[in-house]
Amino acid sequence: MNRGVVITGGGAVTPFGLGLEPVAEALRTSSPRFVEVDRGTGYHGSCGARLAGLVGAPDLSSWLPVAVGRRMSPPSRLAVTAARMALRSAGLPEERTDQETAVVLATAFGPASFSERLYRSVVKDGPESASPFLFAECVANAPAAQVAITCGAAGPNITTVQREAGALVALGRGAAEITSGRVVRALVGVVDELPPVAHGVLDRFRALARERAGLPEAPRPFDRRRNGFVASEGATVLVLEEERAARDRGVRPLARLRAVGTAFDASASRVGWGTGVEPLRRGLLRVLDRADRGPRDVSFVVSGASGSVAGDRLEAKLLCAAFGGGPLPPVLAPKSVTGEYGGGLLASLTIACESRPFGPTAGFREADPDLGLTPHMGGPLPSPRAVVASSLAAGGAAVWAVLEAP
Amino acid sequence: MPDVAYGDTPAHARNHRVVVTGLGAVSALGWGVPPLWEALLGGRSGLGPFSRIDHSRQRTHIAGQVPEGPSRRLGLPRGFSRLSVAEQFALFATVEAVGDAGLPQCFSALEAGVFFGTSTGGLLESERYLDQVWSRKSNGRGIGLMAGHQLNAPGDTVARHLRVAGPVETISSACASAAIAVTVAFRAVREGGVEVAITGGADCLSTTTYSGFNSLRLVDDHPCRPFGANRGGLSLGEGGAVLVLERAERALTRGARIRAEVLGGGVSCDASHMTAPHPEGEGAARALLAALRDAGIGPEAVDFINAHGTGTFLSDASECAAFARVFGERVRTLPVSATKSIVGHLLGSAGAIEAVATILCLEAGVAHASAGLGRVDPALAVDLVDCAPRRLEAGSTGVSTSLGFGGANAALVFARWASGLA
Amino acid sequence: MSEQNGTRSTIKRLIVKSLNLDGMTPESIQDDQPLFGQGLGLDSVDALELVVALEKEFCVRIESEEIDRKVFASVAHLAAFVDTLRTSTASGPHHA
Repeated sequence: MNRGVVITGGGAVTPFGLGLEPVAEALRTSSPRFVEVDRGTGYHGSCGARLAGLVGAPDLSSWLPVAVGRRMSPPSRLAVTAARMALRSAGLPEERTDQETAVVLATAFGPASFSERLYRSVVKDGPESASPFLFAECVANAPAAQVAITCGAAGPNITTVQREAGALVALGRGAAEITSGRVVRALVGVVDELPPVAHGVLDRFRALARERAGLPEAPRPFDRRRNGFVASEGATVLVLEEERAARDRGVRPLARLRAVGTAFDASASRVGWGTGVEPLRRGLLRVLDRADRGPRDVSFVVSGASGSVAGDRLEAKLLCAAFGGGPLPPVLAPKSVTGEYGGGLLASLTIACESRPFGPTAGFREADPDLGLTPHMGGPLPSPRAVVASSLAAGGAAVWAVLEAP
Repeated sequence: MPDVAYGDTPAHARNHRVVVTGLGAVSALGWGVPPLWEALLGGRSGLGPFSRIDHSRQRTHIAGQVPEGPSRRLGLPRGFSRLSVAEQFALFATVEAVGDAGLPQCFSALEAGVFFGTSTGGLLESERYLDQVWSRKSNGRGIGLMAGHQLNAPGDTVARHLRVAGPVETISSACASAAIAVTVAFRAVREGGVEVAITGGADCLSTTTYSGFNSLRLVDDHPCRPFGANRGGLSLGEGGAVLVLERAERALTRGARIRAEVLGGGVSCDASHMTAPHPEGEGAARALLAALRDAGIGPEAVDFINAHGTGTFLSDASECAAFARVFGERVRTLPVSATKSIVGHLLGSAGAIEAVATILCLEAGVAHASAGLGRVDPALAVDLVDCAPRRLEAGSTGVSTSLGFGGANAALVFARWASGLA
Repeated sequence: MSEQNGTRSTIKRLIVKSLNLDGMTPESIQDDQPLFGQGLGLDSVDALELVVALEKEFCVRIESEEIDRKVFASVAHLAAFVDTLRTSTASGPHHA
């Protein structure tokens, strides 16, 4: 049974503001928006990363009435807001009881701030001070559950936690629910919050970019001088629909999803990237094959490269191997602007498939001779006839998606 | 235009029969399936005093803690003891399951995937890290404790140990996590995306979850009594469980011992409340019906239920309402086992250990007894197998339900393996 | 009577603060207004959150079986219940 899947709407809450438009503008102008994190909470060392892409305290009340969001954790608030935006942009009701809508969200850190607050109160004031409000949201699926409750999406509800690969896992899982015939549409997305505890842990693992020898702290995907990524928080939610249903509704899709596939690099460490190019190369080619495409058909790549030393190396080696050592298509590295986590890749992918312009890769000045890859330097991109999105997670998981303009 | 393909589904989805060829488990009864089965058969609870966390100021003092171990380290990798506790549970159960399946502990040449579920991951270790930070003893030392903190750590650790090259995914949907993971794994094998799937879950006790469930007044100060007249809440447990799923023809060709067949899985969402189940079990019933539809059978074909059965007042009532919706009057004579009375509530990985229990029961033709329940609540229409195990008919089919926070529900359908393909 | 009023106004303050009822003032909650359902629209999780706040504020221990719709029917009912606990907890702070 041929059930094509299309993206018909999108919503986001990011460091750039509400909606996908501010993200598109930031990508067009290569303008990250990173701010200083609170390093006075005891989670950070004296020198280390200082920046992150933080959402701040935007006014969400037009999307999330105060009474509705009263008990929600920050990730739940972000996810519900993004989901409602996505439904509205797809021309669908934001609230209705509907068993034909699945919800598949990905999160890397889950309810980090509520978990930390809960445990802190127990340690400081004893178990009797544990807050039911906090605990009720201390599950990774709290945002997905809140989306289901507030938007009336009562179909299958799945939360996936594959870190940097979460966005594409959610995309594939949501699409699979549709192609199976179990649902007609799916809300798929990513949500992350980045409280100081999470930022501090990433920094202690030396995952984050740091200022060095006069070089400011910044993500520099594929750059010879890269030394880590900048983490972000936020939420991006897309509406996926069966293509025929979208056509019947008269809605113009943003993009068509052709295939999603995964592989695993067992040489990775628990918190890092490995060197297993070959299994990943086979995985990527298999996904292209499922999309009835070959490397020569690829218009451009939306890469998950973030400025991670090992992660970007693996991504570059993989892309070079997959394209047979020949010339690569343009490789976008949107995490140079959006940072890592919080839905930046998913938002960027959607924007790219709409043929929106991308500026030069922020932070990139010097190619790394070890990588053999220079990311997009600005200028027009080919028409998105076959776009490959690539995300390699720390720990070994790898996921790719093939999309095209509708 | 070819069929589009998503996730682990190849371009042309097949419909392979899926069987279970290996089981592994870690629970309050010990490291391995044998002590678990012995306790299930005897209706002997593993719940009682515990020491995983300091609970001196908690309202309750009961849990199902995994005993010190494992005593045998065969097949476990170097560095095992440096993993988080949940990772250790996952890895031990995996090594046991893969050995049980007669497969090598290396899957690099197989089309294989890992599909795991967990609520806690390395939450216990993250608490220890925070203790160090807050006592100002850390200054960055101890960060290694956080290496296994992530929710995907147990599943990824299993995948790295087995050198899997295919799909690896961890799902965290509260108490339905592992049941959803098993469903996803089942579909991946059935549709031909992988030929072998390792699926299961692992969770560890922690102060956060113990305090949190107590704050919601959902914990019994007595070992839990699912569906009991005097039930007072759940008992938390810990452990892990793993199933090896394979295409039936592959398992038969290599002469594997088949433990059970997986017939179907269903996932739904209440979409009603974050912590309380739908009062009429509407979402749970939908998951059950979806699972039965997926299995191609009707409710009348079910012989045995392994219930979610936590022992909380509302959840047990809601689940019985769901059973009534699906099975009608048959609920009064459909045997129900409540595994949580033996091992406690393993949270995200509950669905995995209860799948193992369901399969063991079907294999032995016996619905296991539930421990120390006393009188069943007369307000609940449920045929609970209480004091002694009960024989099941030949060719039995069983369902296992998992109902979680946020209204996440999942149900699995298993059948005793009838040798030969129809 | 004035002590009762003191308990009531403290409870109202706790309701607003601990339940994140932004935009509502303690004074706007009537003594006999139903807290659940149609009244203030609270649910079981709100009740449990309020219990944590009440236990801390009044140094009492509230058993699970005491958390029911009758006790939590209104501020007046709740205040009476808390005052009874306080007088029976003559030995002062009592935590597990």
